[in-house]
Amino acid sequence: MRRLATAAWLLVLVSAPLWLRSPYFLHVLIITGIFTIAAMSLNLLLGYTGQLSLGHVAFFGIGAYTSALMSLGFDIDLTDTFKLVVEPKPVALSFAVAIAASALFGWLIGRLSFKVRGAYFVIVSLSFAEVVRLVALNWVSLTQGPMALNNIPPVSVWLPGIGEYRFLGKVPNYYLMLAVAVVSYVVIARLVRSRAGRAMIALRENEALATSVGVDVTRYLVLATIVSAAMAGAAGALYAHYVRIVDPDIFLFIYTVTMVIMVVTGGKGTLAGPIVGGIIFGIVPQVLRDMAGPEVQWIIYGILMIVIVYFLPKGIVPALRDGLQRRRHVRDAGIDPLASAPPAEAAQRR
Amino acid sequence: MLFRLSSIVLAMTATAVLAGPALAQETIKIGVTEPLTGAFAASGNYVTQGARIAEDEINKAGGVLGKKIQLIVEDNKSNPTEAVATAEKLINSDKVPVMMGAWSSTLTLAVMPKLEEYKIPMLVETSSSDKITTSGNPYIFRISPTSGMEARAFTPLVKKLGIKKADFLATNNDFGLGASKAFSEMAKNAGVKIGVVETMDPNATDFSAQLAKIKASGGDTLFVTTAVEQITLILKQANDLQLKTRIITTGGSNAPDQLIEQAGAAANGSMHLVFFTPWFPDAVKNPEIAKKFVSIWNDKKYNVGGLTEGFRGWDGIYTIVAGIKAAGSADPAAITKALWNVKVKGINGDIAFIKQGPAGKESAQNVPSVYLVKIEGGKVVRD
Amino acid sequence: MVCKGRGPAPRDRGNPLEQLLQHGANALILGGTYALLGIGLTLIFGIMRVVNFTHGELYAFGAYMMYLWVMRLHVNFFVALLLAVALGVALGALIEYVLLRRLRSSDIDTTMLVMIGAWIAMQNTEQLIWSGVAQSISAPFPSQPLQIGHVYIGWDRLFVFVTALALIGLAYYLINRTKLGKAMRATFQDRETAMLMGIDVHLVNTATFAMGSGLAAAAGALLGPVFVVQPSMGDLASLKAFAIVILGGLGNITGATVGGFILAFMEELGAGYISSGFRDGMGFLVIILILIFRPTGLFAQKERIG
Repeated sequence: MRRLATAAWLLVLVSAPLWLRSPYFLHVLIITGIFTIAAMSLNLLLGYTGQLSLGHVAFFGIGAYTSALMSLGFDIDLTDTFKLVVEPKPVALSFAVAIAASALFGWLIGRLSFKVRGAYFVIVSLSFAEVVRLVALNWVSLTQGPMALNNIPPVSVWLPGIGEYRFLGKVPNYYLMLAVAVVSYVVIARLVRSRAGRAMIALRENEALATSVGVDVTRYLVLATIVSAAMAGAAGALYAHYVRIVDPDIFLFIYTVTMVIMVVTGGKGTLAGPIVGGIIFGIVPQVLRDMAGPEVQWIIYGILMIVIVYFLPKGIVPALRDGLQRRRHVRDAGIDPLASAPPAEAAQRR
Repeated sequence: MLFRLSSIVLAMTATAVLAGPALAQETIKIGVTEPLTGAFAASGNYVTQGARIAEDEINKAGGVLGKKIQLIVEDNKSNPTEAVATAEKLINSDKVPVMMGAWSSTLTLAVMPKLEEYKIPMLVETSSSDKITTSGNPYIFRISPTSGMEARAFTPLVKKLGIKKADFLATNNDFGLGASKAFSEMAKNAGVKIGVVETMDPNATDFSAQLAKIKASGGDTLFVTTAVEQITLILKQANDLQLKTRIITTGGSNAPDQLIEQAGAAANGSMHLVFFTPWFPDAVKNPEIAKKFVSIWNDKKYNVGGLTEGFRGWDGIYTIVAGIKAAGSADPAAITKALWNVKVKGINGDIAFIKQGPAGKESAQNVPSVYLVKIEGGKVVRD
Repeated sequence: MVCKGRGPAPRDRGNPLEQLLQHGANALILGGTYALLGIGLTLIFGIMRVVNFTHGELYAFGAYMMYLWVMRLHVNFFVALLLAVALGVALGALIEYVLLRRLRSSDIDTTMLVMIGAWIAMQNTEQLIWSGVAQSISAPFPSQPLQIGHVYIGWDRLFVFVTALALIGLAYYLINRTKLGKAMRATFQDRETAMLMGIDVHLVNTATFAMGSGLAAAAGALLGPVFVVQPSMGDLASLKAFAIVILGGLGNITGATVGGFILAFMEELGAGYISSGFRDGMGFLVIILILIFRPTGLFAQKERIG
């Protein structure tokens, strides 16, 4: 049943450009997809290792800026006499460098989080994102500051026989995004089900206990941050080459909040959670665009977040899963669902 | 389970997407992208108000080509990426044949590649960066002056005001930096010594650091280029520091009435380069049109401080409509061609376009009038 | 790295000592309001262990209340100030009672998410009501600044400084000399034991959140007339408050006070001598540096557990 569902979904997604009437809506799907990839990466940190990073947008933005700068070429005055000049590089290479750069910063933050946990980590990650934003804003000679990096080239690959193929326009970028999304999903799924993944979950559930049985907590935390940051960086690079303009506002806290909302409402710690969250918070705003002003929409999201935390604290996907499980359990055991005794399920720790 | 929920979501969105657009009315759409929120919100709102006045007037007079015009206004949030998004939406979703925007030079520059990609003309009503008309984009029609033009118009005043040493304070984007560059070049050519050139973030509220440096530089004139909210704060803080230099604001987004209202006594003595003088409408080329606009604005009880910007929206819409009329259709290519030859009696003056930029891909530029006014005793006076 | 805005050589600049004194005066004045923000947040963060994202919104609320009472309803400036703070306290109590009380058993992540939701809802409500255009509040002070030697201080800023100091003093009194304050300190030291000793922890929570919010609203109400009022003004205030809390150590109000002044000085000197664009970045630099080199803050006696 599950395989069928996944296959059906994929079919729908892959064929979308054929039956979608409005190119604007395709644009919405692409942007939603990109943010969903970022949300999936945040889920790895937030959902599986339990570390709340509120600076996640920093990795997204670093990926975007790095890829943009590498593909446009840049120069930095290192001292009064020496100038570092980097010629424009092929986009595929820029993309790879962007992922590497994000991963590097992920590693740094991962190492830092070893010393600092919980609320303090939240603040450090927040500050990190703000500092990066201010650097992007003020280092005008490199990043163009508020004037934005313009005319970023689209992704292009060299295909044997065809030569250079540029991902220009909506349809090619849609498939590119889909490809990256699928790869990201698979990477996370594999990671989470592996030994490393189990270690991460152990870290989330009870760090002290995990350490005491010999799980190298730091190593897995750092691994999670690296993968998470790299993935967010990839999403950022996708964004840069699709929208083709990048400005420091990309580091605004509101984007981190969007990702957090997607993960939390969808269901942190589940694979499908960020996707459901992404769909809801990526597509619904566009559909509502003509019906309600942006402020009203955001007020609704704020309230929605509070309501979900209260009533569905684990998110939509786990709530549905539990609901269905309970029904199946009831059906299988012939229990009267209206009887008072609760089913004997293992008590959830969170 | 997941399948069921997501199917519902998909069905919902599919319905929204596949359902055709609302019953199409017979209107000619004009896309407007302005900053209604963010650092430039005040100005963006004024321009939009002016545009709406023009829309009402034109529709009351029967519209153009037998149809009414419909302004579709999108908020670009004072942010370049958002500006691009609004352009995408207006062009692809609303299918507008012509646009106006995007207020700030940075925002306009961000939108320009989209104009070329989709071949849609845009009327630039406020942006002042030279880059806009010299980048070789044939879909740009600008009615506002470039910083270069403004600086050139100012040249004779250097001697009249006796400027010996000038400092510059501008907002850290194309608008501000372009103005600082143009004015400092003009000053240098006129024999003025250049003091310090300071910048600030468009969202900053504390300029004590920059002003302290400017005070220490010892210049007699300070050229300030930014939006009205920051000018208010600069005037107040300059007063707090007892900065004695003469302050001249450029760029036309300086709304002197708002400065008087919000900066109070701190505004006295400051001078402002504006492109419309609602306080003395006889100074402009078409006083009747100017007076009518001012009276409609006041009837609607709009902020009187917004007149110096609102007129841009009015001039812009009237120019666009003249283009549509001359084109004889709502086809973007025809409008682009027709706009080159329009002659409009606008509030700022007479509007007509000359070629500017690299040969073969010129943009259109109007040569508007520039006026200098002073604030004295809580009122705006001529200088 | 090419820095912007380097003026002419020092010889041309006029008396550098005067400039330094001016920067010092500016920093001192700003520091008072920063201290208010910091004390408010460190109480909430320390006693309730809540990552309070609505702190900045209370700051903005205070400023908007001033705008409402002074500019729209033409109430006396000082009366409006009192009203703004009182309303801030009330709003804080309301938020705690409605949103946080039921979450007592939850972990820090959940409360934080609720706070984020509240923050988004509040800021957008403000934007919906007042629009995004920045507003000014007129203050009844002479526009000619006070002059001490070559240092100039606006009267409005002086008022802010004096009032901030008074409020800091009030906060100290409340925490250290009243029964409620004692209960708060006890809850901070050991929540379980405090409950066992019969302290009404619910009341302490509400009082803490109300007080913290009131201080934030006061900071906003004081600074609103000095600068401008816009819906997004709270965001930067929130982040700076967090910086101060980290500087001073969680729950440590002396630390928060000193931290507030230190941050103001770092900002002012950084903006004046290094780069004007990085003024607001100083706070975050501070956070990162402190957390790398001295994670417990400059003053905290209690060891921090995550």
